[in-house]
Amino acid sequence: MNQIWGSMEQYNTVVWHWPIAVYLFLAGLSAGAIISAIVIKWMKGNDVSPWDGIIKAGAILAPVTIGAGLLLLITDLTRPLHFWKLLIHYNFGSVMTLGVLALFAYFPVVILFFMGLFKKELFETGSLKFLAPVADFALTYTRLIEGITLVLAVGVGAYTGFLLSAMNSYPLFNTPVLPALFLVSGISAGISANLIVGLLFFNSSTKDSNVSYLHGLDVKVIFVELFFLFILFVGMMYQGGSAEHVAKMALSTGGLSSLLWVGVIGLGLVLPIGLNFALPQGVKHSHGFVIFNSLIVLVGVMSLRYYILYAGQIFVG
Amino acid sequence: MAKKYGMIHDNNLCIGCQACSVACRSENKIPESVYRLQVWVKQEEYPNGQLGYEYHRQSCVQCENTPCVSVCPTKASHVNEEGIVLVDVDLCVGCLYCVAACPYQARYVHPVTKAPDKCTFCHESRLSRGEEPACVTVCPTDALVFGDLNDPKSKINKVLSEKVTYRQKETLGTNPKMFIVPNHKGGINS
Repeated sequence: MNQIWGSMEQYNTVVWHWPIAVYLFLAGLSAGAIISAIVIKWMKGNDVSPWDGIIKAGAILAPVTIGAGLLLLITDLTRPLHFWKLLIHYNFGSVMTLGVLALFAYFPVVILFFMGLFKKELFETGSLKFLAPVADFALTYTRLIEGITLVLAVGVGAYTGFLLSAMNSYPLFNTPVLPALFLVSGISAGISANLIVGLLFFNSSTKDSNVSYLHGLDVKVIFVELFFLFILFVGMMYQGGSAEHVAKMALSTGGLSSLLWVGVIGLGLVLPIGLNFALPQGVKHSHGFVIFNSLIVLVGVMSLRYYILYAGQIFVG
Repeated sequence: MAKKYGMIHDNNLCIGCQACSVACRSENKIPESVYRLQVWVKQEEYPNGQLGYEYHRQSCVQCENTPCVSVCPTKASHVNEEGIVLVDVDLCVGCLYCVAACPYQARYVHPVTKAPDKCTFCHESRLSRGEEPACVTVCPTDALVFGDLNDPKSKINKVLSEKVTYRQKETLGTNPKMFIVPNHKGGINS
């Protein structure tokens, strides 16, 4: 269609740009990091101090990544100085409001988890000593806090998917499987980030059995992720009409489809699975390989967020 | 009964002259390079080989089930008591969720307020003075009909009773209050 007169610039369907993709990645990673840290902490032998390096990694990563993501999100608003209005005005029908409320609860509990875990190192002596009662509270109610954190983390991981799937203006977003895909890939990213931080910064306290367990879990999660991605596109094909058209375009057009096939599927999903089966046990469990494997998984998950965000907005049928 | 404003765009009467777009800009003081309203033209070749034009009014279609209002986290996007979808700039944080969620691409970011803006049926200006929207007033062929859908005697309900109309993307269930009289010469492109 020809506009006859005037600029068409405002009709660009790409409304949300890369900072949103990074935020979706960081929020998923934060949820995945705390989920996998709690899963490890609840295993026999890991539930007492000194804490395993992976648990420490999750305790640090969860608040740091969600904090960084939210900061990025706020600066990306067109009216960033008004962001506080999100905190006092609610629309319970909006996924964004539900996300704000989930994060309202999630941020404090992950910080509590962190404070309980690092009480000895940070809050028993020194300038942060005045926070010791808070850390004590975190330790007293540790199980309860972890239970609540687990539920909220699932909420945060899934909400990033609902945020997009709630929009019927974009066929690639408007699919029921997107929240599940984002939750699963977020968990995969969290596991990988925990492994990297645990092995690089808390090597002495990270048990090999926990590394193997998480690495093995990651491979299973990656299988699920691959299956969800398959369901997403097959489901769109079966819908016919514009959904089918959008799916075909998104799978085959331009640099974005290359990003999907090479970055998301090749590097992030197929290579980790392939290496896991191809490599001998000795190599597979070496710290170097686990770190390498975790890095490519992280690149894959970030690529998935970037791909979905842009392909979803560009291919609208 | 409360009023429920709607509009009809008649594709047979429209000549794509852009008077509506210009009137909208001057009445609502729309900044350069953004638009509440544009009229697009599409050249059609009908099955018998004849050429013709399809006109498309690109503006807010004033949905009853409003995706933009549903997603807004602060209720800055809202529907007033007359069924008009509006933005309360003061409540807006600029997340652009509404801009993305609108299946009709009716919203743009106002360059001064940085909040999304859109067609308001001239609610803040002409409508409050009891006048019709600027686009309707200036249309030289009367291709635009405006009125109260809740008043059985209104002009818009008379036209809706006499002419075949459709609405864009009806399958989405948005229930727009912008009705289109399709080109009698060719097929309906919804």
